[in-house]
Amino acid sequence: MVSSIRLDRRAVLKGLAGVSLSLPLLEAMGKEVAEKTPRRFCAMYTANGMSLPNPSHGIDDWSWFPKQEGRDFEFGKSTEPLSPFREKVSFLGGLHHPNGTKADPHLCSDMWLTGAPLHNPKPGTFNSVALDQVVAQHTKQYCRQPSLVLSIDAGVGFLSRTGTISYNLEGKPIPAENNPRRVFDRLFRGDRSSLALQREQLKRRIKLVDAVLDNAKLLEKQLGQSDREKMDQYLTSLDEIEARLIASEKWIDIPLKAQDFSHLNLEANSEGEPHEYYRNMFDLIALAFDADITRSVAFMLNREDGMGVSDTFPVKLGLNRTHHSLSHADDKDGQLAFAKYDLFLSQQLAHFLGQLQQYQDVDGSVLDNTIVLFGSGASTTHNPTNLPTLIAGGSNMGLQHGTHWRKPNTPLSNLYLSILHSMKIEENSFSDSTGVLQDSIFTKV
Amino acid sequence: MSLRSNLFHVVVIACALRGSRISLADLPRMTFYGYTCICVGVRPSWLPMTFENLFFPMISLISQKRIFQWAGVVTAALVSGITLGLAATPGGDEPKPVPVAVPVAVVDSDESDFQEQVQPLLQKYCTRCHNEDVTKSGVRVDQLTPNPTDRQLFLWQAIQKQVDDGAMPPHEEPQFTAAEKTSLNTWISAAIAAGRARDTKKNGSVRRLTVSQYRNTLKSLLGLEEDLTDPLPPDGTSKEGFSNQSQSMVLSPLQIEAYFDIAEKAIGLSLVEEDALPVIQNFRMDLGTAINPHPCPDNLVLGANNFLLSNPDVLVTELQPEKPFAYKSFSMRTEYEFIEGYVGNDTIRAWKKFNSIYHSVFACMRGTPGYPKGQAFQVVPQGLLLRPAIPSPEIFGQSDTYGPMANFKISLRELPDQGNFRVTVRAARYDDALLLEPGLPLAEPGPKVVVTAAQSAASPDVTVTVTEAGIYQLDVYRLPAVAAGPFSVTMDDRQFAGALPEIKPIAAGDAGKPDTPLVGDDAAATAQGSALLLLRLSAGEHKLTARLGDPARFHRLVLTRRDDESEAAKRFRLFEQRIPSIGVYVGLRRDCGSTLTPVGQPRPIEPGGLQEYVFSGAINDFPSPDVEKDNVNYLAGIREIGVRSEYTDGRDMPRLLVRSVEFEGPYYETWPPASHQQIFPASAAGQDPAMQARASLRSFMTRAYRRPVTAEEEESVFAVWKNSYSVHGDRRQSMADAMLVVLTSPQFLFLIENSPSPEPEDLDPFELASKLSYFLWNGPPDARLLERAAANTLHASLDEEIDRMIRDPQFAQFVSEFTSQWLSLDKFDVVAIDAKRYPRLTRDTKTQLRQEPVQFLQYLIQQNLPLRNLVKSDFIVANEVVASYYNLASGTESGFRFVAIPHAQENLGGVLTQAGILAGLSDGRESNPIKRGAWVARKIVAEPPDDPPPNVPQLPQDDGSQLTLREKLERHRDQPGCAKCHAGIDPWGLPFEAFDASGQLKAAGIAATGSTLPDGAQVNDMNGLKAYLATERIDQVAFSFMKHLACYAIGRSLTYNEFQSLREQGKTLRSNDYRMHDMLRFVIKSDMFLKK
Repeated sequence: MVSSIRLDRRAVLKGLAGVSLSLPLLEAMGKEVAEKTPRRFCAMYTANGMSLPNPSHGIDDWSWFPKQEGRDFEFGKSTEPLSPFREKVSFLGGLHHPNGTKADPHLCSDMWLTGAPLHNPKPGTFNSVALDQVVAQHTKQYCRQPSLVLSIDAGVGFLSRTGTISYNLEGKPIPAENNPRRVFDRLFRGDRSSLALQREQLKRRIKLVDAVLDNAKLLEKQLGQSDREKMDQYLTSLDEIEARLIASEKWIDIPLKAQDFSHLNLEANSEGEPHEYYRNMFDLIALAFDADITRSVAFMLNREDGMGVSDTFPVKLGLNRTHHSLSHADDKDGQLAFAKYDLFLSQQLAHFLGQLQQYQDVDGSVLDNTIVLFGSGASTTHNPTNLPTLIAGGSNMGLQHGTHWRKPNTPLSNLYLSILHSMKIEENSFSDSTGVLQDSIFTKV
Repeated sequence: MSLRSNLFHVVVIACALRGSRISLADLPRMTFYGYTCICVGVRPSWLPMTFENLFFPMISLISQKRIFQWAGVVTAALVSGITLGLAATPGGDEPKPVPVAVPVAVVDSDESDFQEQVQPLLQKYCTRCHNEDVTKSGVRVDQLTPNPTDRQLFLWQAIQKQVDDGAMPPHEEPQFTAAEKTSLNTWISAAIAAGRARDTKKNGSVRRLTVSQYRNTLKSLLGLEEDLTDPLPPDGTSKEGFSNQSQSMVLSPLQIEAYFDIAEKAIGLSLVEEDALPVIQNFRMDLGTAINPHPCPDNLVLGANNFLLSNPDVLVTELQPEKPFAYKSFSMRTEYEFIEGYVGNDTIRAWKKFNSIYHSVFACMRGTPGYPKGQAFQVVPQGLLLRPAIPSPEIFGQSDTYGPMANFKISLRELPDQGNFRVTVRAARYDDALLLEPGLPLAEPGPKVVVTAAQSAASPDVTVTVTEAGIYQLDVYRLPAVAAGPFSVTMDDRQFAGALPEIKPIAAGDAGKPDTPLVGDDAAATAQGSALLLLRLSAGEHKLTARLGDPARFHRLVLTRRDDESEAAKRFRLFEQRIPSIGVYVGLRRDCGSTLTPVGQPRPIEPGGLQEYVFSGAINDFPSPDVEKDNVNYLAGIREIGVRSEYTDGRDMPRLLVRSVEFEGPYYETWPPASHQQIFPASAAGQDPAMQARASLRSFMTRAYRRPVTAEEEESVFAVWKNSYSVHGDRRQSMADAMLVVLTSPQFLFLIENSPSPEPEDLDPFELASKLSYFLWNGPPDARLLERAAANTLHASLDEEIDRMIRDPQFAQFVSEFTSQWLSLDKFDVVAIDAKRYPRLTRDTKTQLRQEPVQFLQYLIQQNLPLRNLVKSDFIVANEVVASYYNLASGTESGFRFVAIPHAQENLGGVLTQAGILAGLSDGRESNPIKRGAWVARKIVAEPPDDPPPNVPQLPQDDGSQLTLREKLERHRDQPGCAKCHAGIDPWGLPFEAFDASGQLKAAGIAATGSTLPDGAQVNDMNGLKAYLATERIDQVAFSFMKHLACYAIGRSLTYNEFQSLREQGKTLRSNDYRMHDMLRFVIKSDMFLKK
């Protein structure tokens, strides 16, 4: 009697389509009802690796990776700002993309979030789907925007010097936004005309889905008792799509959560003070999470190989060399300066974690319901092994922090699969993953 | 449908049904001798279809065992000849009786026998390992019932075989007594016989199109070149390996969403804004020495490993193609300002302005530098000469990944965003010389023409007179101290370049001679010669220019006429007859890995002078950089059009001469395009929009649904149009909306065989047309099939249509799809070959080897050859690449075309030893007898091993132990519970051990690869295995082929009955050697295919 349930549900949807609808009622319509606490994901990429000084320089305590492994690790000087979050963060060592070691090292940011075999691309494509977009596929029906893709430079850059870390299901780069004001306007000040257009498109789709349903029913009548299973699957899927469309349309009318924006400086931009820029971008992400506007964010903090404005940030901070040349440094001064840039990034990250900690969900803080992935596609420049990786947040998804976990030659995609599973996204694999991380910070994979 | 004549074996119980939407599971049931009988209504055919008119035969069951009476039998006998089951009633919203009729046979072996004799045995010997909790080999016996379903018959048969063979229970467990064995055996035989006597019910089928069928259908329906199916999730694969099987197909919201998105895109591409002028980009690049009178003055740079041709040798012209319609020309942007760029390999950051078309369109060579013989390319006055592009070995750390050596490409900033394009190359085969390998003998005898250094020094062009036309060898003589180096020779307007080899001094004393200018004849004695090249010369005067570093540094050049019968002349004649193939590619620039993707197949060059070669495709099927238009990096968003002389196996061939490359896109034959005119015919312009829309939609729906549409269906889609039109009055948009509904409706997405009753019925003619075309073409029926269906002559002309369809080029789509899935060629697609170990198995060679099994099967079917060739053939079907891989290069001069090549090598012939199969069934490093054995068992003899039990651990990737793969496999196999299945797998795989993971014969040869097959037969090696399969086991091989063919044709697994009938009736084809075409026809003409 699947079909009659289907008809009933459909009748409900049709009845609702014309009237305004409160959120709880909407949630009660489907499996969404089970979803009370949001599960979110945020990926943040920093180019050119981290400072891992040559031991002969005697500045080991400036190494980005802590010296000790396990729970007794101590923060190094460049990660010290993260120490207040000791129980909310973990360092992960020994990870790499097996495809990364085969490809041109300049491709490491292109593939960081995808793991794609860029040295041997599938004909007709040149990358594969990024982790944030897999997450978005599964979280988009619960929030207004499937994902938010940010980068230090707007757009997509170009292949092998990418300006975005996010790639869609077809492996095409998703253009990133870099201007705090534009991000703010889009997220929190949806303009009327675009909303009207959006609504019109949704209404059209709903009408068409309805027409297809009518057409399918004509067929169903002819079919009589012939193999019904496929038709049932078809009709159920169509219903689900209609429900999603109606839900999306309803989002347009549901007012945004009231939030305090007074700390934002929307004049900040990438040409100005680096910390001012990063903090405002981070604040925007935190606000978007708090208002449940999106549950998937990717942010490329700076670009590989001397591309873009971020290459000059260390100079602006008084470190004498550009980011890419610092990453190539093998002298003591250079490696120390590089580590000081890591320190700067740690300060920004600590600010971000603080913001996420401050906002509260139904159950725990936003940080507890968000898995933050921070890392690079190279350990130091052009060396695609032992990728510096830090995971923060997600305690409510079974992550147990406060450790420096390390397992040499582990596919980074295994970490990604573990993240998906922790978010209850039951994919069998991600890219070239060979399984989830065993005996690690993930306890619910 | 009439009652069956064996009425007394068929018990039909009836009851009434009221209301719609009742599934089988909801019908009243009763247990009858252990059978669950579903009750059915009976209605005399002359009575109207109402509930009251149903007969309800009475039933009484008397006595225990085999005695029963059934009052209904009398009733049924009275109305024999009447309709059993109910015809479908016309639609309407009223609840209606639903036709159901399930005849059920009663067997002699009955429930009590099962309960008293069989079940206790199962419990005693089997259940412990095969129950709900412990399910060894995936088998459960605790659920078996005395009245097996069709599925269970397979299991009963397996149980019988296991017990018969003594394979079960395991040796360490208690065994059946002889009496118990007999009792079990007898009962199973009876149960199976009874099961087979039962009718197989047929309830029609509903399958959705596979991704490739959907792609082909969309393409044919809308005339779309572009492949839009990327967002669709890949099809699941069935146990038999097929992706078109209804049981393994699922539909999800994600998939339906993708159907919507794709349809929207497809319609957007096929309907245009009629009034808007199309914008067309058209330019040509001409190539040749100093062809450009106004070359770009800037020094052009395009990043690392790009070799740009000299600016004067490249001329770019923007063109205005002649078209029968008005359009706007697209002008490429030439003014740019970039802030990021490169100087050499260094990144620079400063705003700089550029203004020249040569900063927008570049002529490049790319690929590993160097070429084994001669120069990879050469610009001559007539154009650009290209030698075959040698694929990069792609070994990390040893070679780069910039693509083959060497390839020409046009790099450019702008190409159209969508639509089809054409690349037209003007090219010819160069009147070339054959470069000789270092150390080949000088041409001693024969008429000679000598040019001395003095002559050459006096004038750059020396006129030589050739008295006799023919093949000449050019030898160069020089003093021993003159070093090796590049040389070039120009003969009239033909240019040849290469390198002089090192020569060894004749005597030790000469080695240190100072490099003095040549004077007098003394030098002639000490000058040493090198054979340079062979070329054909006409009689008469020729102008010859030679360069050897410094022109004065050779002693003399000697042209010698070679005898027509000499080896050299023979070699040259073969050389000059060879035909280079031209390939065109489109991709994008990147630092690592080539993205150049072929546009169609390579084309052999026609004899004669320059001719045009047109390559076409849809721009969005090729990699595009997707960067924003105002990107500020000089190297961002660069696209590429590649042109190559295609490499097969390195055989010498004349160079490809490329004179010009022209691009046009979007390419339109007409405006509006045909796809648009199909929906909005020019003849209907000015017609009432609603009338026009209705007519267009009816015709579109008929083609989309592959059958006539009902009035209701038409009305429903037209209502969408009307609704949409009433809102905005836009004809294009309203039509797009209506078409979107058609393209996402199940009528389009599903292949439907509608069956009103469970009895087998004939397919209706339109269902047959679709079933045939999706089987033999993997795509929709063509106009002729649909016409024949409409005229109801398709069933009658089936043989004729099958022949026509097999001859049609679309048949290749079937062969490719079926062969790939049947023989698991996808394993070869994904295996990562160890390039260091198997350098010959490059990516390009792999692409060709991947074709071999497909081409082989196509040849066998189209030639209607006996099936034994499938396992053992005295020919291979190969092109130059494949033949060369098997060391049969001399057997063919076919380029990339696959042809049958006879061979005398025992290790070749048949699919078992094709490299694509052998390598696919390995891990890319070592051979794997288990994978190969399981493949033979499954695919070739259809004796599939059981699935491995779920608790078997995978082979550890790297557990630190020093075991070889073979030892690991043995250790794995020796685990309790594994050995039994492996006994049915490994013996098939052992003869394969003569072949390595690249499909080549191992150094040890085929010795010591004998095996005792699971059926007890002994074979000495692979040749023995092939011979055995091709003769004694040919019935089994034929059955396997037909079983897989039938599964694929009907889109589902076979029932037990179909399985057994195929096994029995298939043998009738043996008398004619199981010819391939015959087997195809046999499957199509079987009830499996023709009944629903």
